Amino acid sequence: MGPYLKTARRYRWLLGAMLALVWGAGLVAAYSEYTTTFESEAIIWVQRAPPQLAGNPEDPNVTVVQTAASQQASLFNQLFLADSFLRDVVARTSLNGTLGNAVQERKALDDIRKRLRVQTLGTNLLSLSFTGRDASIAREMVDAALAVRGQRVAQARVTATSQISGLYQKQLALGQAQALDLQRQVEEFDQNHDGPLSDLEQRRRDQLRLALDYVQIRLGDLRGRIDQAVLAPALVDVSGSEFQILDEAREETVPRGGVKPAALLVTIALAAGAVLAALLVLVGTLLADRLAGPATVGRLAPARLFATVPRVGTDGRGKRDLRAELALIAFEDAGAGSRAAGR
Amino acid sequence: MTGAAQLTRVFEGLASRIDASGFRSVGFTSALSGEGTTTTALGTALSLAALRDETVLLVDANWLQPSLTADAGAEKAGGLADHLATRGELAGLLRWASRPRLAFLPVGDRAVARPSLRALSSFLAGKVASHGTVVVDLPPILAGEAFVLPWAGLLDQLFVVLREGATPLPVVRQALARLGPSATPQIVLNRAAVAAADLAPALHPVRV
Repeated sequence: MGPYLKTARRYRWLLGAMLALVWGAGLVAAYSEYTTTFESEAIIWVQRAPPQLAGNPEDPNVTVVQTAASQQASLFNQLFLADSFLRDVVARTSLNGTLGNAVQERKALDDIRKRLRVQTLGTNLLSLSFTGRDASIAREMVDAALAVRGQRVAQARVTATSQISGLYQKQLALGQAQALDLQRQVEEFDQNHDGPLSDLEQRRRDQLRLALDYVQIRLGDLRGRIDQAVLAPALVDVSGSEFQILDEAREETVPRGGVKPAALLVTIALAAGAVLAALLVLVGTLLADRLAGPATVGRLAPARLFATVPRVGTDGRGKRDLRAELALIAFEDAGAGSRAAGR
Repeated sequence: MTGAAQLTRVFEGLASRIDASGFRSVGFTSALSGEGTTTTALGTALSLAALRDETVLLVDANWLQPSLTADAGAEKAGGLADHLATRGELAGLLRWASRPRLAFLPVGDRAVARPSLRALSSFLAGKVASHGTVVVDLPPILAGEAFVLPWAGLLDQLFVVLREGATPLPVVRQALARLGPSATPQIVLNRAAVAAADLAPALHPVRV
């Protein structure tokens, strides 16, 4: 440790200046990040609609229409992945028309995607937030995201309802045709059999009436389902119980949400300064621990400096050129110089 | 001044100090490879040969990387190892360099012998003594400690060549510690930042 401490003492002013520069820049950046970050957040209460109001349990859109907190958070995250959703969101804010060309739009949407955040706070509670440089834009983005999400869910609900209603209508039409056919068969049977009926005829008549009763019951059930398919989503909409915004997004007047990025910047600056300082000390120590000149030889006592051999400027040809020349002088045959130069 | 003279002038300071110190046998080693040991040994031998009126024997004792032997094109020739293994007379193994008063002893067949204290002692006390100065090129201490230590106690002076601004001090300390307390090597600082730019143009005429 001794040599390193010695180097650190030797370069203390340089180290101090470097650390002041790196750490100072980091602190300034962190402060700037903190003071220019505004986060708007909406707190939302969600719950599942009663099963009776579910249009069709097998409908894949059910989870979109009615979910608990994690399902809603998942839905938000999926929506954020869609550029069309983000475009719709931006279109409802002051940023409308600022997305620019395709490349710029892609970049802007990616940036917005990073800044939108949904978090589950409990089984039925979630928050939706947007972090930006402008407090009013942050609020607008949250409000717009909620509105577009509502719009998308409503569209999905209408589609699901119309599909289910269509299915039930077809089943109803089929049932009505069946009922009419059975009614006609019963009437024909009654017309053809005036007197007392045999056991076989009585049994046939009972079968026809039973089948007619069953079809009529089925028709009643289908009419009920059709009514429910239309009414249930409307009831869910009216009650608003499955998605309630408890706290609306506000336009923050003081910085909010910038603590984490600022802390990250400070940490990076501190680490970078420390690493640079360590590198400087390491390199300084390694360089200092070499023979820097005749004065350094004193550190090799009891060995003493006997003489110095000056460096010869050889126009970049290096030490081996000198040896090649010397070899040529000493062993003056044709190959001496080239042999030495070749090594 | 000729190009060769200008080149050897780089090592004049070192050679003059060796001459002034009266060392008759010197060795050059380093902590790591790539410090310029061989270049320094060769340059010093050339300078000493020019400086002294007696012969200088340049010995390639680098068992790990015998660059001087390769420079002289004497890879297959007999040399120090053969002499230590008593397989050849010194006179027959020596190669006279193109410079006056400079002889060269290649490393020889390294497989036949390794440098031992006794063998080197008799080598230095033998006919080698007839040469005014012996300059030995040695391998790096940390890589070839076994090839350096026998020389350390026998040579008049062992020099550790270090490269300015490049050699890590902990490595040098480790290398010096390997030599032990008996040998007190001295440092030759290579490629020191001393103005020698005027030597650069001198390289061209020699090369051509």
